[in-house]
Amino acid sequence: MEKKIEIKNVSKFYGRKQALFDIDLTIEQGMFGLLGRNGAGKTTLMKTLAALHKKKSGEITVCGVPIEKAREIRAMTGYLPQDFSMYPSMKTDEALDYLGALSGIPKADRKKKVTSLLRKVNLIEHRHKKVKELSGGMKRRLGIAQALIHDPTVLIVDEPTAGLDPEERIRFRNLLCEVAEERIVILSTHIVGDIEATCENIAIMDEGRILWKGTVEQLIDNARGHIFTSNVEKRFIPQIKKEYIVTGMLSQNDYTTVRIVSDSEPDLPNTVLTEPDIEGAYMYCLHSSGCDVKGGEE
Amino acid sequence: MLFSKECRRILTSLTFIIYCFVVGLFFVSQYFEECNGVPYVPDEKISEDHDVIMHGAVDDLATEFFANNYVCYPYGFYKSVRLKEDDSKKVEECLLEVTGLTHDELMDIRDSGEKYYIERGVQETMYYEIGEMPVSDTITYERFCELMGKVDDILGGGSNYKVDDIVFRYSYVPMTDEEIEGVISDLYDKDGVAGGYARLFSDYMGIVLGIMPVFVTAALVSADRRKRVSDLIYTRKISSFKLVFSRYTALVVMMFIPVIFCMIAASIQLIKNFDFSDLALYRMFTLPTFWLLPQIMIVTAVAMIVTEVFSSGIAILLQFAWWFHSNMSNGERLSGSIGKFDLICRHNTIYGRDEFLLSRNDFIFNRVFFFIAAIVITALTAYIFELKRGGRFNGFRLFGKDSIFRHKA
Amino acid sequence: MASGCLAKIVSSDTRHNFLLHYLAAIGVLLLTPVIFGVSRLDEVLAAQPLEIFLPLMGAILLPAVFMPEQNESIRDVVRSKKTAYLGVCFLRLIISVFIITLLTGAFMLYMKNMDCRVSLRLFAGSFATALALGSAGFFASALSDNVIVGYMTSIIYYIANFGLKDKLKVFYLFSMSAGKFGDKHWLYILAAVLVAAGFAYRKFVKER
Repeated sequence: MEKKIEIKNVSKFYGRKQALFDIDLTIEQGMFGLLGRNGAGKTTLMKTLAALHKKKSGEITVCGVPIEKAREIRAMTGYLPQDFSMYPSMKTDEALDYLGALSGIPKADRKKKVTSLLRKVNLIEHRHKKVKELSGGMKRRLGIAQALIHDPTVLIVDEPTAGLDPEERIRFRNLLCEVAEERIVILSTHIVGDIEATCENIAIMDEGRILWKGTVEQLIDNARGHIFTSNVEKRFIPQIKKEYIVTGMLSQNDYTTVRIVSDSEPDLPNTVLTEPDIEGAYMYCLHSSGCDVKGGEE
Repeated sequence: MLFSKECRRILTSLTFIIYCFVVGLFFVSQYFEECNGVPYVPDEKISEDHDVIMHGAVDDLATEFFANNYVCYPYGFYKSVRLKEDDSKKVEECLLEVTGLTHDELMDIRDSGEKYYIERGVQETMYYEIGEMPVSDTITYERFCELMGKVDDILGGGSNYKVDDIVFRYSYVPMTDEEIEGVISDLYDKDGVAGGYARLFSDYMGIVLGIMPVFVTAALVSADRRKRVSDLIYTRKISSFKLVFSRYTALVVMMFIPVIFCMIAASIQLIKNFDFSDLALYRMFTLPTFWLLPQIMIVTAVAMIVTEVFSSGIAILLQFAWWFHSNMSNGERLSGSIGKFDLICRHNTIYGRDEFLLSRNDFIFNRVFFFIAAIVITALTAYIFELKRGGRFNGFRLFGKDSIFRHKA
Repeated sequence: MASGCLAKIVSSDTRHNFLLHYLAAIGVLLLTPVIFGVSRLDEVLAAQPLEIFLPLMGAILLPAVFMPEQNESIRDVVRSKKTAYLGVCFLRLIISVFIITLLTGAFMLYMKNMDCRVSLRLFAGSFATALALGSAGFFASALSDNVIVGYMTSIIYYIANFGLKDKLKVFYLFSMSAGKFGDKHWLYILAAVLVAAGFAYRKFVKER
């Protein structure tokens, strides 16, 4: 059986509001990043892939199994929602054990799995803590453990690093890379850095549509020739932000070095063309697809 | 502003919409329809004659004592009580003191009575036809009440001898036609018609307002937790005191608005049914406000603190228990006595002004007490909220480690 | 289902999500003899505690079926597992109904022991009342996804029986206490319809 998710012409509505428009995507083994702003439809797509939402039209197969067979899909999919949460009064190991039981794992296996997974996500010392007593990072790690408990072929993680401190974030990324070796891992994020560090293949979403798909290198290649830096006086910054897409600023004395995404060379002093970074490439991609991204990132 | 924001949140909550619907439905089905008909005119009145009361009670007590079968309605539901020997002995002591008889004289009365049987449930109880019992010349009414209270305690409450009710149970005497005329003219002359209707209005609305506010409150308070905005609220700069009181005031005000609409509807009905010059219409607003507002306030305050400290489920359970207790322990008698601490005050009649005035002081005490208690409880809630904000308190736990049922080392 | 899974689900669920509810139901049972006479009653008098108070167990247990997953992220986690979420909910419902049966039965044995005239139709009536009262709250909480609305609905239904009485026609809960034993099958129908509708809504509308 081929490890592959195929999504063809998928649309989804919430009431009358359309949330997904004709999504076409093929996801293969390894880490796959879904990038987009808040409200781009990432969560909706991921919930649809986890068989939590029903699509309106189109076709999805996960390793050859149509998404309509929810039971089979769930048996081979692990899902970690955006803000993972569990019955607050349960202890960490019991929560994992309970979710393992829901996954239909026999008692004898469950015991071993719970221990090994808690060790893997570094929660073994906290296994007697109640869920409500765990910190944000610990909770997220419990979340990944529960998503892995039935050894799924597909792992879907929604915004796994949001709200984590930098140290936790790096640890979490490494954990994901580790488990991605023989699975399909789909990761959604609005933090560009996460993608750069972990994913080879990515797709960019906005307003329910796929704007772009390919590898990270291709994304960067696309942006080549469109990222500039200028050295300008500080007082011009508000004006520049209004006219150009600014992806970075570095202040030195009265001058500021700004990174600008633009179709053509901006009419500013001391402007040089630079090698694109992934953030700039992402912004260029949004910009070239007609999204309004001016004003820079706050 | 915070107050108006909270009001808007309440207005759009499902529980509040249901609340309004139920208040309206209850008003129409209970009060409005009844008041479109001809009101029931009472034909009995309370005489407050201590002799009448003591004689009536002693006759009943002796009859039940001889049969050792006491019919009680502790929550308005039938319960027959049989006493063990030592308890029966205590009741006999009370009976002897009230009648001034000796044990032998009492037994003589029993043995000379003719036996008869009454069937209740699957049991046939043997009674003695004893006629009228004597009442001791030396006993004071106060001592008599004390003894009856003791008997009621032995019987587990809800008996014929419950002190609060004893006046109402035994001193009813038929009214003469003149007296009936008097009662009717009281409604016009002293109550301005609206006063009498306002009592009935408050009586009915008090039943729903003794329970419904808990749902709106619990839903609003626990919505914070449910939508996980607690953390956001905890870090906001606004003082706990201001936050809790704004929310509390918003709840009380919003929940009182449908009641005001009902008052207006009741007033319109009065104007339609009566001569306008007979009506002291303001009473349809003043009395129900004094009667019902403290009730909404106390139910809301208790619901708030219990939801904050424990959970919304416990708040609902507790309020239901209080409501059930207050509502049902009145038994079948729906007018007359209003206790100092009754949550729900009943006076289910348009007439009966005199009867109402009998417990006027207790009634005023009751409402003022709940008014103040509500504010104190809300202040306490604000204090708890402040502790929670600082992370010094996270609600009580009922079970497990650190539970309130375990002693801390 | 693999061995031990069902047992684990039931035991964890009971301990963490429903222990207080089960205790509250037992509390109702223990309070009944305090409020009502339970000795030497004929059938109509015996109907009072069995109809007016004991069925509150239904109002406590049934609206809470969906409660633990009221938090959407918990629900997503549970739903992403192989075991059908609504199946777990149905299991909870069955356990609750079983507890109601057990406690009502136990209480009636106690009444029988106290020389009350208890009968099978009293049991069936009491059970039907509990189911009807509970299923009203169950349906409301299934629709609103808010257990407070569920409890509210059950209690409104309960209070309506004191206020509206016969206006509720065949859905009047306290008919046996009024000497009528024939209407209780309507309550079973009501309960069945509401439970089915609640699950159907969850399945076909909410989880679409």
